[in-house]
Amino acid sequence: MNDIEEQLWNYIDGTCTADEQQTISALIAQDEAYRVKYQELLLLNKDFETIELDEPPMAFTYNVMEGIRAEHARQPLKAAPNKRIIIGISIFFLVTLVCLLVYTLANINLPAADIKVTVPVKLKVPELSNYMTKPVVQAFFFIDVILGLFLFDGYLRNKKFAKQA
Amino acid sequence: MQSKLSDIELIEQTLAGNQAAYADLVKRHQRFVFTLAMRFAKRREDAEEIAQDCFIKAYRSLASFQKQSKFSTWLYSIVYTTAMTFLRKKRVDTDSIDDENTYIQVESQSSAYDVNNAENKSRSFYLNQAIEQLLPDDAVIITMFYKGEQSLEEIGQALGMEANTVKVKLFRARQRLKEKLERNLKHEAKELI
Repeated sequence: MNDIEEQLWNYIDGTCTADEQQTISALIAQDEAYRVKYQELLLLNKDFETIELDEPPMAFTYNVMEGIRAEHARQPLKAAPNKRIIIGISIFFLVTLVCLLVYTLANINLPAADIKVTVPVKLKVPELSNYMTKPVVQAFFFIDVILGLFLFDGYLRNKKFAKQA
Repeated sequence: MQSKLSDIELIEQTLAGNQAAYADLVKRHQRFVFTLAMRFAKRREDAEEIAQDCFIKAYRSLASFQKQSKFSTWLYSIVYTTAMTFLRKKRVDTDSIDDENTYIQVESQSSAYDVNNAENKSRSFYLNQAIEQLLPDDAVIITMFYKGEQSLEEIGQALGMEANTVKVKLFRARQRLKEKLERNLKHEAKELI
């Protein structure tokens, strides 16, 4: 019986081959059992097409769009860090590196190689030790701590949003 | 007013930053997505949560949608995974999802309700009642096939199955639905006598 049903459902759904379709058409025309079953399944198929869809609540679209807006509002913190902060940090490190490079080059002493570097213009190199006072060092460390806290905050926020998502 | 644009056009507009276009997409598919969610969750509150979550997830990964398949097929695959995750979160173990006994309760509740509303019933009422009594997988496949305008291949794509597996599952689901429908109609006839 199942075989007949399976064949007939395939016939109704149009999922059988052209040859099978021809064979089943002939069976429906000639065989009473096939004809009766076919009529029954056809009626059932018609019933299945009348299945009703459930209606979501009235505010469904609004709620979805609100959810998306809320997610958008959170996104800049997560995915797009402030470019000015990145540029500021880059400038800070670049200036530090340049200062260190100038200071090292100015104080370099290579007697073994006997290389004489003649600077065409008389370059006045500032004495950096004059500037490396206690408050400057403290300020340097303070900025480092602030940057560290900023990065840690970013890390914690990312972790929190990843958990919520 | 719903837009007459195709799903793909609405997606392109959404990706260009037009959120209203996505609202139109939601309006277009919400009924079916909600119905699928109901087939899994059985409770309106849960279905609402699943359906909402599914549309938000779809929005989030809209840029990754390959336009080779239908948007609806892609969306229904999200419904399926979202519903599965939701059910797992709700600590409903797989036995109870697949266990037909779980739905006997629903069945008997519905039957009790039926007696008081005999005059309002039609064949379509019993059919929808029978669908509610089916296992989620059966109910989803039948709903997708008859109401979702999805081919066997597309259903397979959405549910992560081979088209042939879907064909077999659809056949069995239709048989179970037929049995439940007949049982409900028989029960109703007895009540009327």
